[in-house]
Amino acid sequence: MSNVFPTRTGTETDVRLPFSFITFAVLSFVASQVLLLTVIPSLASGAFRLPLVWAAAHLGLLGFALMTAMGAMYQLVPVAFLTPIWSVRLGFWQFAVTAIGIVAFAISLAAAPTRAFLPGLLLLLGIVLFVWQMAMTLRKQETKNVMTLFVATSLLFLLLTAAAGGLLAFHFFAATGADSHETAFVLHVLFGLCGWFTLLIIGFSYKMAPMFSLAHGFSLRPARCVYALYTSGIAVSLLHLFLSGQVWLMVGTALLTSGFTVFAWHIRTILQKRMKKALDRPFQFSVTAVAIGLALHATALAAIMIGSGRWIGIIIYLSAVGWIGFSIIGYLFKIVPFLWWTHRYSEKVGQQHVPTLKQMMNERAVAVQCRLWLIALALAAVALATASVPLLAVAQVLLAGLSVAFAGTMLAVFRK
Amino acid sequence: MDVRELAMQQLKTVIDPELGINVVDLGLIYDLKIENGHIDVLMTLTTPGCPLHDSIAGGVKRALEQIAGIRDVRVQVTWNPPWTPERMSEEALRQLGYFA
Repeated sequence: MSNVFPTRTGTETDVRLPFSFITFAVLSFVASQVLLLTVIPSLASGAFRLPLVWAAAHLGLLGFALMTAMGAMYQLVPVAFLTPIWSVRLGFWQFAVTAIGIVAFAISLAAAPTRAFLPGLLLLLGIVLFVWQMAMTLRKQETKNVMTLFVATSLLFLLLTAAAGGLLAFHFFAATGADSHETAFVLHVLFGLCGWFTLLIIGFSYKMAPMFSLAHGFSLRPARCVYALYTSGIAVSLLHLFLSGQVWLMVGTALLTSGFTVFAWHIRTILQKRMKKALDRPFQFSVTAVAIGLALHATALAAIMIGSGRWIGIIIYLSAVGWIGFSIIGYLFKIVPFLWWTHRYSEKVGQQHVPTLKQMMNERAVAVQCRLWLIALALAAVALATASVPLLAVAQVLLAGLSVAFAGTMLAVFRK
Repeated sequence: MDVRELAMQQLKTVIDPELGINVVDLGLIYDLKIENGHIDVLMTLTTPGCPLHDSIAGGVKRALEQIAGIRDVRVQVTWNPPWTPERMSEEALRQLGYFA
């Protein structure tokens, strides 16, 4: 019989590597949410471009979301693509460089934004090392598939996001006062949110959704349509920056929304083919994030059509929390117990009774947290829409409290 | 109890930690050859690129090595033919909430 593999695939990563990233990420998350508590009045009035907001946003998006994505990729790429990490040693160096870069960059943004360029270079080096590591790893994959396409493209956008961010930091550093500052900012946000995070989450969802729901007998063909629509949406939105008129932005956002709609529909059809009827709470939460992402894409399209610039800032914030953040939180509730279980119990299977992954975490606490995250997001959305400082304060206190509870739930896994 | 029955009993102690169902009821075991203290297992997993590949395949090997008189266990994982839900036992379907 062909395609026979031995007991060990040889693709497992040293768990200390993803754990280093994820532990740093969880702590950054708490720091970013606590920092946001200090700027509630500014946020409620729609003032997002403030040093402390930049610092909190980058601690959240780089410290939490980027570092989680990196850690998860060190674990998932080898098993999903059946190819070992190119250099685990480089992985530890990359972690150190990126972690120091993020902390230094966030401190610079908060204290002296004009000097953020130099620590930004260190951060850029960490990102380049990561992309190089993943490119060399993916190169060795024998059979490329649609997931490879999504992940490889998202890595390209990670580089572009970092480059646009670097350009932005350089403008502050050199005090150029050039008009291209605004262009660099839009590129940074578009590449980061749509190109890097969204394409990455979509790509891995095609592995995670069938795996966690035990779905079989579905087609992956619509994924190519999602890819074509979404990447075209990014490309056409880019045209808006260089050609006059709102029409390119409108067409680009319509393509992004269409791509995301096909993705959401596709995930739904995959889940309809599932054998595991009762989905566990963390995975349900990640699926809810897809619904939030869909609603926010549609809202962004409506806001651009009616020409409401204020709404775009709110939608970007809600997307960062509700789509990207919630997807990552949901998957982290699955990944962290899995990593610790592998470390503690993998070699004991078949010799003694070992717990299931579900037993590695307090599912009741997870269920309560998931509900509260949704309530906090809804409160934040209403508060931002109505510019209500008290309501935003309540939402942010809840988000900060939840980030601490989330960190506690993650750390509690290590006692199992 | 003969060695084959003992082997199947041992395999039922190997649980997929994500689903909480043993490898026999999941229908992951394709073939079991027992000869002169050697066991050859041909098995699969529910999906290629399963993060639990090494844990489950290693667990099968360790579980069978505990049977008295077994000197050597060789486990091979195949994707051909791929696993399908039809291979699951009624008990596995019940645990997945399929009849609910």
